[in-house]
Amino acid sequence: MVSRRTLLAGAGVLGAGAAGAIGYRAWRDREPPSPPAQNADGDLLWRNWSGIEHAYPAERLAPTSEDELASLLRTAATPIRPVGSGHSFTGLATTDGALLSLDGMSGIVSHDAATHRANVWAGTRLADLGPALSAIGQEMPNLPDINKQSLAGGVATGTHGTGRDFTALHGQITRFRIARPDGEIVECALNRNAELFNAARVGLGAFGVLTQIELQNAPLTRVLKRQWGADLEETMEAWPQLQAQHRNIEFYAVPFTGYAAIISVDPTDRPVSPRSADEDTGALMSLKMLRDTLGYVPALRRAAAQAAFADQQPTEWVDEGWKLLSNERPVRFNEMEYHLPLEAQIPALRDVIAVIERHRGDVFFPVEARTIRADEAWLSPFHGRDSGSIAVHAYYKDDYQFLFDLIEPIFRRHDGRPHWGKLHSLGARDFTALYPRWTEAAALRQEIDPEGRMLNAHLRRVFLDEPA
Amino acid sequence: MRAMILVLALALAACGETGPAGASAEYTLTTALAATPSETRLARLYEGSCKTCHTSRESGAPLTLDRGAWDPRWEKGVDTLLDNTISGFEAMPPGGLCFSCTADDYRNLIAFMAGREEPQ
Repeated sequence: MVSRRTLLAGAGVLGAGAAGAIGYRAWRDREPPSPPAQNADGDLLWRNWSGIEHAYPAERLAPTSEDELASLLRTAATPIRPVGSGHSFTGLATTDGALLSLDGMSGIVSHDAATHRANVWAGTRLADLGPALSAIGQEMPNLPDINKQSLAGGVATGTHGTGRDFTALHGQITRFRIARPDGEIVECALNRNAELFNAARVGLGAFGVLTQIELQNAPLTRVLKRQWGADLEETMEAWPQLQAQHRNIEFYAVPFTGYAAIISVDPTDRPVSPRSADEDTGALMSLKMLRDTLGYVPALRRAAAQAAFADQQPTEWVDEGWKLLSNERPVRFNEMEYHLPLEAQIPALRDVIAVIERHRGDVFFPVEARTIRADEAWLSPFHGRDSGSIAVHAYYKDDYQFLFDLIEPIFRRHDGRPHWGKLHSLGARDFTALYPRWTEAAALRQEIDPEGRMLNAHLRRVFLDEPA
Repeated sequence: MRAMILVLALALAACGETGPAGASAEYTLTTALAATPSETRLARLYEGSCKTCHTSRESGAPLTLDRGAWDPRWEKGVDTLLDNTISGFEAMPPGGLCFSCTADDYRNLIAFMAGREEPQ
């Protein structure tokens, strides 16, 4: 028989444990500390989207024309760093010199209805470009998961969507205009200033500032977007068939659940059935709650997740592609994404899931798998090879060092190339080995910007192997 | 054990609701979408940055001019809102996607979206 004193003592221990767990959870959920909103000189704080990069730019430039941009480039404080929406997780835009926004150079410049090409101001946000192209009967048939980025920022970092027959955004560029660091405006295409065209299509904002970009678009198309759950192992086995069956296809592997969420997009003539209210954010927060409550009991965590997911029905929406391909992602995170040879994608993903489930019970974000067709831009992560990407996320309030310690070695072992806008630790020596045209690109950058006026600490590591 | 799992599964399902705290159910997106600052520079900044999230229920941001969502925030004081805008806070990205905005621009944009003509 259990005595009353024992019961009370047990209850006390349980109560203290619960209070401790609640306190620990509240401590983990605190907002990460922020640097002061202004520095001693009165310069306003700049932080990237996830909050891990920050600076106090001495100048904030927002030209509204090519002439104004050219003039500013000649006199601006250095390093000069173009910024779009600040979505890069790396220090690409970080500067205490001049932060240069192209928000004042936005919209469609001209278009050709016969060829489905549109010449677009480089500062146009992707979220604005969708409806603008729709109005002229065109679309970008492949878009990234998030559409807050500027077009210039997207192409400069090799931003991509998914679909084995689709290149990343920069693969659709037929020509562009660029303001070099010395202020000269140059027009580039495959048959005009071809070297700069090849180097600066994915240029990291290191070769100058793109001003106008001509895109080879597609006729506006109605698509069916389907989202459904499946067994993770079966999904990985079926991945080659899924890629062959669908125009755009991706899946999220959900660690600690044995579950995958698959998303496909295909042309359709079905009647419009618009996107319903966002359920992804609620599902993500459910996974967080599962982590918070059962993170230390993996078997129970898996069983609870599978019970919750068992009744999930497939969802379908029909609409124009630009309304369905990208998503709102109000939960901030940090991310590492590498692009691997297509045949290495699933083996690497198995390693990633195994490492997370063995060592990182705090991870609750799904791991994203996509495919991208090869292209020929010199600094494209997809240069010369069809690629499968794997993206690992960490909640913005959580530790993300494991991305470097545990995940990046797997990607490196599988011959991966990092997404330019996402976390990586590589430098010039690594890129020389990974990119067949790296030496030519680096030499051209040196010729265009011999004083390194557009190089910040991050880019000095990337191009010159200087420690940050 | 199975009962415990099912209870947790139900709790997880209930966790699926999102949206900004205090958001008015009756407030319509049409009103938010139609609103724009009267001052030209502010309107351009708003159109290019704030509007993309503050006219979308899925973004989790309080909708422009939705007093039900904004009033509790406004009570914190415009300086706190300015700090959260510059530094980022929860779903609010640092700088609010507007990197050519000055501190005064941010103050005026916050006041506009909160349904106040002038910052207080």
